[in-house]
Amino acid sequence: MAAQLPANLSPETVRTLSEERDEPEWLTQTRLDALEALETLDLPDVIQTPGRRWTNLEDLDFESLVDPLGAEEATERVTAEGVEVLDFETALAEHPDLVEERFGSVIDPQTNYLTALSVALFTTGTVVYVPEGVDATDVKIRTEMNGRSLFTHTLIVTEASSSVTILESIETGEEIEGNRYHSNLVEVAAGENSYVQYGSLQNLSENTYNVTLKRGRADTYASVNWIEGNIGSRLTRSDIETTLSGDSSESKIVGAFFGHDDQHFDVNARVWHEAEHTTADLVTRGVLDDRARSVYEGVQDVGREAWDTSSYQRENTLMLSDDSEADASPKLIINNHDTEASHSATVGQVDQEDLLYMTSRSIPERTARNMLVEGFFVPVLEEIAVDELREDIESLVAARLRE
Amino acid sequence: MSSEQDHLKETDTEARFEFKKEEKSAFKADKGLTEETIRVISEDKDEPEWMLQRRLRALKQFQEMPMPTDWPGQPDLSEVDVAEIVPYIRPDVEVRGGVDDWTDLPDDIKDTFDKLGIPEAEKNALSGVGAQYESEVVYQNMQERWEEKGVVFCNMDEAVQDYEDIVREHFMTKCVPPSDNKFAALHGAVWSGGSFVYVPEDVTVEMPVQAYFRMNSEGMGQFEHTLIVAESGSEVHYIEGCSAPKYSAFNLHSGGVEVFVGEDAHVQYSTVQNWSKNTYNLNTKRAIVEKGGRMEWISGSMGSKATMLYPSSILKGRGASDNHITIAFAGEGQNIDTGAKVYHNAPNTKSTIESKSISKDGGRTNYRGLVHIADGASNSSTAVECDALMFDNESTSDTMPYMEINESTVDVAHEATVGKIGDEDIFYLQSRGLDDDDAKQMIVSGFIEPITEELPIEYAVELNRLVELEMEGSLG
Repeated sequence: MAAQLPANLSPETVRTLSEERDEPEWLTQTRLDALEALETLDLPDVIQTPGRRWTNLEDLDFESLVDPLGAEEATERVTAEGVEVLDFETALAEHPDLVEERFGSVIDPQTNYLTALSVALFTTGTVVYVPEGVDATDVKIRTEMNGRSLFTHTLIVTEASSSVTILESIETGEEIEGNRYHSNLVEVAAGENSYVQYGSLQNLSENTYNVTLKRGRADTYASVNWIEGNIGSRLTRSDIETTLSGDSSESKIVGAFFGHDDQHFDVNARVWHEAEHTTADLVTRGVLDDRARSVYEGVQDVGREAWDTSSYQRENTLMLSDDSEADASPKLIINNHDTEASHSATVGQVDQEDLLYMTSRSIPERTARNMLVEGFFVPVLEEIAVDELREDIESLVAARLRE
Repeated sequence: MSSEQDHLKETDTEARFEFKKEEKSAFKADKGLTEETIRVISEDKDEPEWMLQRRLRALKQFQEMPMPTDWPGQPDLSEVDVAEIVPYIRPDVEVRGGVDDWTDLPDDIKDTFDKLGIPEAEKNALSGVGAQYESEVVYQNMQERWEEKGVVFCNMDEAVQDYEDIVREHFMTKCVPPSDNKFAALHGAVWSGGSFVYVPEDVTVEMPVQAYFRMNSEGMGQFEHTLIVAESGSEVHYIEGCSAPKYSAFNLHSGGVEVFVGEDAHVQYSTVQNWSKNTYNLNTKRAIVEKGGRMEWISGSMGSKATMLYPSSILKGRGASDNHITIAFAGEGQNIDTGAKVYHNAPNTKSTIESKSISKDGGRTNYRGLVHIADGASNSSTAVECDALMFDNESTSDTMPYMEINESTVDVAHEATVGKIGDEDIFYLQSRGLDDDDAKQMIVSGFIEPITEELPIEYAVELNRLVELEMEGSLG
């Protein structure tokens, strides 16, 4: 379903944004094309069953949420040896050809209404470029959102036989009245035999609508691994996707979320197996309290030419309250029979026997429950190579449990 | 075609399902669907006014509803044009509602069912048999000892006359209302034939009752309605079988099944479906299960060009339970989109879904399921298990489960696996002296065993035989 073009958006707005950043003509044009496409593009698909849409993106009031010229933020970028971690203006000045070639190569700006809006209006961006053979750890991008809306774009390019771990975090700095909107697009182009682990942590204030699309393409022997923690926001729509386009490429998607009050998380993990001998592993764990709601879709799509595929998916939701709701739809789409694939999903509550065991050892019930919830996230936390991200998620979970 | 397959064509298997009879009817409606057609059908059946009104209301809903075209990966229904369907054919039988002595049937119809093995099945292990030919039931029989206990097994048209109160209360009101989907609405407008089963309180019908549906005419639609009312503490097993020969024009099968499972009652509903490969099978089946009741759906979906069928159970009373066991086999040109739906609407309800699919020679199978646990359905549990077996790279197998959980004290698990037929297993069997085809056949038989062991022996044999024929590519 198409949303309306907000009246406060015009080609002039986009030109102003582009001119302020001294952008090349191709980028201005890409933004203008995206803006124009808004009139015809649809919102991304949400899961629908008879009589019900699981997430209502139609209700987003872009008119009041989007303030393109009032974006305020503070971004800190920590680089590592041999890697270039650049804001967009610098990247355009220093690597004009690279950015022109790669921008929009993994995520088509006109994929849907939300991506086009993001490309037309992004004011903050980071380019991470890892040259051939470089191994880098602990690249960090920390952003604080201060205005009504913020649109950001992250472009990661790894050359052959390089590796990098990246942590990107977003949180709210200054509190303001009313609702807010945050959008982030992340493109990963992983060259042959390169390794990317990209971790992200979202802890926005709970008056924020948060939309992110992260998509990677893995060349031969490459690995694209995603880790995502969603703690904050009013509503989050998050899509993490990998196209395994090179033979023997791999992807792991690890997700964790913790919802309370009336938070809504629409989390989607998708993998397309397009080449031979590719492997994917999707693991998501979430906890819901109060009236919080989660919608999960996982897709393992095995193409006709994807011989010798291995593809696994697990999703587990822990419900702490009767008023919460968890919806799950793990999908397998198999077009090549030379495949080993499985998926599973479970929903349940804190194990009563475990609880009894702990309380009988004189641990107060509340403490025991909190320990079990923290323990529930362990299998996901173990996958995280970046210490800081793991520790941050642990402490945010612990903080929420003590509220 | 190989000589081996030629040989098979001449065996009775070909004759059993693919033979055609010359069309011979006492009354045949015009193609397409108008209010006039509905009035004619209703009048021909001498129906009470309320039933005519229900038909007309359903027709209106059918005309207003869109085709289901926006489901991800669903079968192509563009060929289904209701204007081209003959919705009603009354076969040429003397006694309306069917004869009760097999020998009174016209020879060609009798011959048809003889070939399908219906009388033998009856003799062997059944409490009663109904047989439908085109739009009407032509044969109906019920063992006396069940009749004495108040069990009713008759055709649906007769039930409208003889058990009007029960039918009026249950017929497409709470279980499958015409508004459920476009083809349920179509069914509500043009339904004809089918079975009515009534089991009084605390009566256990120990042997299954069986109905067989046969379409013979080209371009017809079959819309039989099955209504089962099992009162508190009763128990019954209903089996249906279906088939149709293949014509150049498509056939449409759009049946409706409604099952009312009373308190602590137990109903098993088994289907072995083998429509011809130009039949669109768009069926709606649903059960409402009261406190402590148990519903079991067992289905084997082999034939048809496209099937869209998701038997569903509404677990309405505390402690109600549901088991689904389904098997889908899609060969060349077939698209079997099937699954299960369970609504947990009360505490302590339980469900299990076991789904197996096999795709071969470019066939498409899809498991599409929904498990809904309503707010208040505490201590409910569900387990869904899907396994897909694929033979070759032209085939497709998808799994699309949906789970909606509104309650925290629940136990929900879904698991699905897919894999190719194991080369090692085949090698092992070959090393024990089986040839390649027999080895594959044996692996498939093992794969579907959880289903066949739930069926009475005659049906298990039938299902195995059908799988065998699919494997040999000699059906349809």
